[in-house]
Amino acid sequence: METSSIVTPQRHAGETSEARALDYHALNAMLNLYGPEGELQLDKDREAARQYFLQHVNQNTVFFHSLEEKLDYLVEEGYYEADVLAQYDGAFIKSLFEQAYAYKFRFPSFLGAFKYYTSYTLKTFDGKRYLERYEDRVCMVALNLARGDETLARSLVDEVISGRFQPATPTFLNCGKRQRGELVSCFLLRIEDNMESIGRSINSALQLSKRGGGVAFLLSNVRESGAPIKHIENQSSGIVPIMKMLEDAFSYANQLGARQGAGAVYLNAHHPDILRFLDTKRENADEKVRIKTLSLGVTIPDITFELAKQNEDMYLFSPYDVERVYGVPFGDISVTEKYDEMVADRRIRKDKINAREFFQTIAELQFESGYPYIMFEDTVNRANPIAGRINMSNLCSEILQVNTPTEYDDDLGYRAIGHDISCNLGSMNIAKVMDAGDIGTSVEIAVRGLTAVSEMSNLKSVPSIAEGNAQSHAIGLGQMNLHGFLARERIFYGSDEGLDFTNIYFYCVAYHAIRASNRLAAEKGQSFAGFAESDYANGTFFDKYTDQVWEPRTEKVRGLFEKAGIAIPGQADWQALKESVMAYGLYNRNLQAVPPTGSISYINHSTSSIHPVAGKIEIRKEGKLGRVYYPAPYLSDDNIEYYQDAYEVGPEKIIDTYAEATKHVDQGLSLTLFFPDSVTTRDLNRAQIYAWRKGIKTLYYVRLRQPALEGTEVEGCVSCTL
Amino acid sequence: MTATAAKRLSRINAINWNRLQDDKDLEVWNRLTSNFWLPEKVPLSNDIQSWNTLTEQEQQLTIRVFTGLTLLDTIQGSVGAPVLIEDAVTPHEEAVYTNIAFMESVHARSYSSIFSTLCATRDVDDAFRWSEENPMLQAKADLILDRYRAEDPLMRKVASVFLESFLFYSGFYLPMYWSSHAKLTNTADLIRLIIRDEAVHGYYIGYKFQQALAEASPAHQEEVKMYAYELLHELYDNEVKYTESLYDGVGLTEDVKKFLHYNANKALMNLGFEALFPSSVTDVDPTILAALSPSADENHDFFSGSGSSYVIGKAVATEDEDWAF
Repeated sequence: METSSIVTPQRHAGETSEARALDYHALNAMLNLYGPEGELQLDKDREAARQYFLQHVNQNTVFFHSLEEKLDYLVEEGYYEADVLAQYDGAFIKSLFEQAYAYKFRFPSFLGAFKYYTSYTLKTFDGKRYLERYEDRVCMVALNLARGDETLARSLVDEVISGRFQPATPTFLNCGKRQRGELVSCFLLRIEDNMESIGRSINSALQLSKRGGGVAFLLSNVRESGAPIKHIENQSSGIVPIMKMLEDAFSYANQLGARQGAGAVYLNAHHPDILRFLDTKRENADEKVRIKTLSLGVTIPDITFELAKQNEDMYLFSPYDVERVYGVPFGDISVTEKYDEMVADRRIRKDKINAREFFQTIAELQFESGYPYIMFEDTVNRANPIAGRINMSNLCSEILQVNTPTEYDDDLGYRAIGHDISCNLGSMNIAKVMDAGDIGTSVEIAVRGLTAVSEMSNLKSVPSIAEGNAQSHAIGLGQMNLHGFLARERIFYGSDEGLDFTNIYFYCVAYHAIRASNRLAAEKGQSFAGFAESDYANGTFFDKYTDQVWEPRTEKVRGLFEKAGIAIPGQADWQALKESVMAYGLYNRNLQAVPPTGSISYINHSTSSIHPVAGKIEIRKEGKLGRVYYPAPYLSDDNIEYYQDAYEVGPEKIIDTYAEATKHVDQGLSLTLFFPDSVTTRDLNRAQIYAWRKGIKTLYYVRLRQPALEGTEVEGCVSCTL
Repeated sequence: MTATAAKRLSRINAINWNRLQDDKDLEVWNRLTSNFWLPEKVPLSNDIQSWNTLTEQEQQLTIRVFTGLTLLDTIQGSVGAPVLIEDAVTPHEEAVYTNIAFMESVHARSYSSIFSTLCATRDVDDAFRWSEENPMLQAKADLILDRYRAEDPLMRKVASVFLESFLFYSGFYLPMYWSSHAKLTNTADLIRLIIRDEAVHGYYIGYKFQQALAEASPAHQEEVKMYAYELLHELYDNEVKYTESLYDGVGLTEDVKKFLHYNANKALMNLGFEALFPSSVTDVDPTILAALSPSADENHDFFSGSGSSYVIGKAVATEDEDWAF
């Protein structure tokens, strides 16, 4: 902090709180201001959480004399789904609620409580009074997902209320409610190069946003602007008008106002409209082509990096011609594999741009807007154990699954229903899982909970999604609170010990997730469609685990697992699992995906995903919350040095950490890169090259932090100086 | 004063950014250009639902506050910054003022974006009429415009800093207040972009003022200082009345006054003068103070807004060594 001879007003929080009882927002904001001794005011946030209950929650919660009275009322008034409760007998339900209340759950941070009551808990229809406490929500989630299985319901209550497993927002928000959206978070759809498919996409965007979750569309197959229509040249308007329509569709539909519709579009780097696509995010783009709320992603094959390395031009290929030459849509072609062939083929129209300039343009746009996301297409497909091709990701860039096209009749009916992608997510709290010491059970209960969501979902409004889900039972088990755990154990994020832990932890999760899915397949006598053609069925997936010993490299990490009593699977364990998988199959086509975990990590009192913290005191802004402040979990004046924020940690250590986890995750991981505003586009490009070389599958947002110009800071403000 | 006037640029030379008389010019120029933004970037329409939850009185207050700010930005864009150009002592300082002048016009423009997105035309017209007829608002404009027309370039800078660092804030209070209560958060993003700019403007003009003041005679220094405090008192008395006329109805007047004290001190600090208000009357509501931080480090959620942290980046081509794999 700058010192100055001028006497400036310095606020002393202590005086103020004595002078008058502050409201909870004010107490929470004090987190972002230093105390009189220059110390963090963590106690003020705990006081904010307490005052939030005293001043607001308690007096706005509907009171019932007993659980029976409450449940009867909620069912009769149409708040709870009667069928969910009817699967169990009354005595069991009562004991389950008692089990939950016995934990004496308390929100450790103001934001956790505020977020929960603002966005998740059941409210009266007028939105004014609360009908649920946290324990009630947890029980309804467990009862809904366990579908009459009392043992599973008890296990789910244990895992969720202890914080070890946290279902994603749509599941946690909607379970057990009668007026609700879908339990699934995330959808990915192809668009084919015809008007029927484009029209259906707009409809799907409306239907899926209405039901909750984000939707991503693949634009790579759609012909470029200026391409012929019915053989007449210069007719197509390209992809940008489709993006405009999608953006409008998303802003129209939202899930009962609970959250705004959100969408992403993905385009191959070698699509001729690629620069127009990126320019929609320019600060000075014309209103007609400007895209404000739609997220953009680019899929980049290896060949683009090779061309940039040689400083050559990169050719862009007309999807219209490619489809006519190869008989399959552009998105289903490996550009790396066919590049030379397509360059030489005179039937395919092409443009060219300089490859390095293309990367620089991406970086420029990331400065201005944070977009685009990047999917390293060939890395993703090399790591994919499932037969088929992955050509896109989703709104958070962690879902990576194969898809197939849908064909339509002239009346927009379905000639052949393809497979599109849906994925339901949930995340485990690494610190809590390590504390409990039974990672096998924690993973298995989570996998069973997520599988239940897949089985209960049937999205009739978009048949290709329903079909894809029924065939694959894909789930995405994520992880969060890595940095919180490491800091608590006095390990620096991205240090050798940090990387070692990440590797072994994800190694263990992979083993137990596959084992759980294998058990499900054996119980149900059924595997996902396409299992027989997968690397799981022929056993090659397991080579890297059976041929090689995986164990901690450092004493510290070995000690952590020993202290937790967690056994690390050995080669013999993997051999046995491999044989069981080859014999009984796997129920879920996809198992792991590590989402960015915004809201749920606040409720769960975690650090987001496996990122470093955005700040020791994070400033969080959301439409529903306004601006609030969140202290990093386990932070104290004593261990503050371990909470280097993401900007201090820098891109390399983040990429190194994600590279360790990526080895054991079958889908993707949302990886945000953080930079100070003093960097240039070159620094962004270097980080992207490094990520690609380290085997990272996708890159999510680029975030920039601009420090206040010296002399313009707010006095005593924590976020200015930390 | 004569010393300063003599240094004024009398003829136009081609500006050479590689020969700097004052490094601060380049530093501020870089900051301002990388902070360039336009109101179209912010998805204001996402605030429509939230706008509709405000009472009629709150809506009227909000529109009035923004018309008041529009007036100040208009003054600053078309008079305030241009008169400073004439006083510039380096060509680079001139260039910085042209940027400031333009961005002030962007600010004035962006309030109209808020109006056209959220409000009915009739309500906006009413508010503009109100702003023309409100005596305190007009008095404020007159006080500042008088100083801009004054002979002494130092006084022009004093007036400019008071406008940038003090007068704006009675208006800025409201969107920060709404945002901390989860209302109009995208509008608050836009206002925070404006605050981000104004913080730099006030700081830079204050810096140039201090440079010029140091070269004035001790007697003149004393004169200017007295003059500055006098102006501040006049502005403050008027601002209190203005604040009461706006905020009494919603019961926020006392909080806004503390915010005025806080920012008056800040403005004096930019000029290199001692604070006027003791800390006992500057204890701004922490939610407002914490929301003010001009460093852009908010971890926003991309689904509900665009955030106020993105900047125009420096483009640098990659070299062969970057691609050595």
